[in-house]
Amino acid sequence: MALIHVPRPRNAMDPDRPVNALLKSQVLHLHDAESKLPVRHHTDIYIPAIKTEGEAANYIRRVTEAIHLAHATAVAKRARPVAKPKRVIEVAAVADDRPVPRRTSVRPKKAKKKAKTKLGRKT
Amino acid sequence: MPPGLDNLKHIVVLMMENRSFDHMLGSLTAVNPQIDGISAALSNPDTTGAAVQPQPLAEFQGQLDPDPDHHFPAVDLQIFGGDTSPTRVANMQGFVRSYFNQQQDVGHSQKIMYYFAQNQLPVLTTLALEFAVFNRWFASIPGPTICNRAFAHYGTSFGRVDMDLLYVNEPFQSIYNRLINANPKRTAKLYYYDTTSSTMEITNLLQNQPELFGSYQQFLSDCSSGNLPDYSFVEPNYNDHDGDAGEEVASDQHPDHNIQAGELFIASVYKAIKSSPLWPNTALLVVYDEHGGIYDHVVPPPCTPDQFTASANDTGTGMPFAFDRLGVRVPAILISPWIPAGTVVNRVFDHASIPATITKFFLGAFSPRSPRETSADVFIEPNAGTVDPARNLLSLGTLRTDCPDFDV
Repeated sequence: MALIHVPRPRNAMDPDRPVNALLKSQVLHLHDAESKLPVRHHTDIYIPAIKTEGEAANYIRRVTEAIHLAHATAVAKRARPVAKPKRVIEVAAVADDRPVPRRTSVRPKKAKKKAKTKLGRKT
Repeated sequence: MPPGLDNLKHIVVLMMENRSFDHMLGSLTAVNPQIDGISAALSNPDTTGAAVQPQPLAEFQGQLDPDPDHHFPAVDLQIFGGDTSPTRVANMQGFVRSYFNQQQDVGHSQKIMYYFAQNQLPVLTTLALEFAVFNRWFASIPGPTICNRAFAHYGTSFGRVDMDLLYVNEPFQSIYNRLINANPKRTAKLYYYDTTSSTMEITNLLQNQPELFGSYQQFLSDCSSGNLPDYSFVEPNYNDHDGDAGEEVASDQHPDHNIQAGELFIASVYKAIKSSPLWPNTALLVVYDEHGGIYDHVVPPPCTPDQFTASANDTGTGMPFAFDRLGVRVPAILISPWIPAGTVVNRVFDHASIPATITKFFLGAFSPRSPRETSADVFIEPNAGTVDPARNLLSLGTLRTDCPDFDV
């Protein structure tokens, strides 16, 4: 079958076109999503003032990016506590070692120093 | 097992916006009489009582402005011609009257009957003639976008018939959740055009499953690398905006967006799959979410009621709605190199058929699902047990090598 030509649209771009019902609804949906984001991710856009496709597009982009950023931040935060148990175990291990010897007054001091050093290194 | 089903690994759905079957594909009756499109007998009365016939005078942009009303009360008028009696019968006689209500301009109201000539839509009409076109694919409800798209994602709109926020607190999971939570795990992605266009489902799915989402650029990349998920849902660009590559013209075909931009987009999706290593393993469904208030002549049939009812107040018609009638007919085309050219399907489908098909094909049995979804027909047979040849659209014994190509 021969290659079929697909005509390109001419002069179709119009970001000043009044926003249609679908985009209005999308803006409202995103506004609801935005309200659930942490405040630092909120846009300062007043949505009743959105009248054109260009304005709606700008708002949609800002909120979609904010949602992605908020999720990325949440994922990163969730990942951070995973490291904590390691430190706790190490500290606990050192702490467990502490009472067992009870031989000299020097050793506990060394152990304390070790624990501080490890914590310091990890953080 | 038929080789088409044996090879099928990926199903892609591209859902466009707001055009009726007759408006986009009605011209094809002249080419293939099996396609139930425009005929000389069709008409709608205008407000002077004159009969207005469909004419091939549709324009790519600037004609259907204002956007034809397609909210529930307007579609009720379009389907029932303004009869609100208890014994009323659907007749598809209220389209011109409905459009007249927006501008009180008799001449302008007649444009709702216009349709595209075949040569104006080289992409959609070629795909319809070269693969499987559905004569009876209807919107899920006689209403607007959000609730109709919900049927494609959830198999129900949870009782909604409007464009308000759709809160998904009900027992029916989205098709995406069903797939990624399955054992063995399946893969699914909803590809929206870009962050400036985004997706209608963002409030329902993105908050919990950001990994379900990708951009159109990622879709292209996933096609070329052969990494499409089991199920992909692709959305067009919903607005004109400046993108990284310059001007991005809305490609959803929602009035009054440019039809040719949508043609280019459909061709681009098709080409991405056809030129990928996954072409023998992929089926693409191109479908429109609803008719957008534009004329179609086929009466939407009754259907199994959903378990929800929209109140008389919610419908705006003074009558409740039990989700027991489908919406207006829309274009739908199934594409695969295993489908014979010129296939015309006469079985009844709606958007609930999408999660029904995906579930049955990839998961087999799944519960709970909405009554509408469980009673919806599937457009791809499950690749298990005995396959009824009369229902299997991917019926060829060998892969086609004569599929069309577009210069996009």
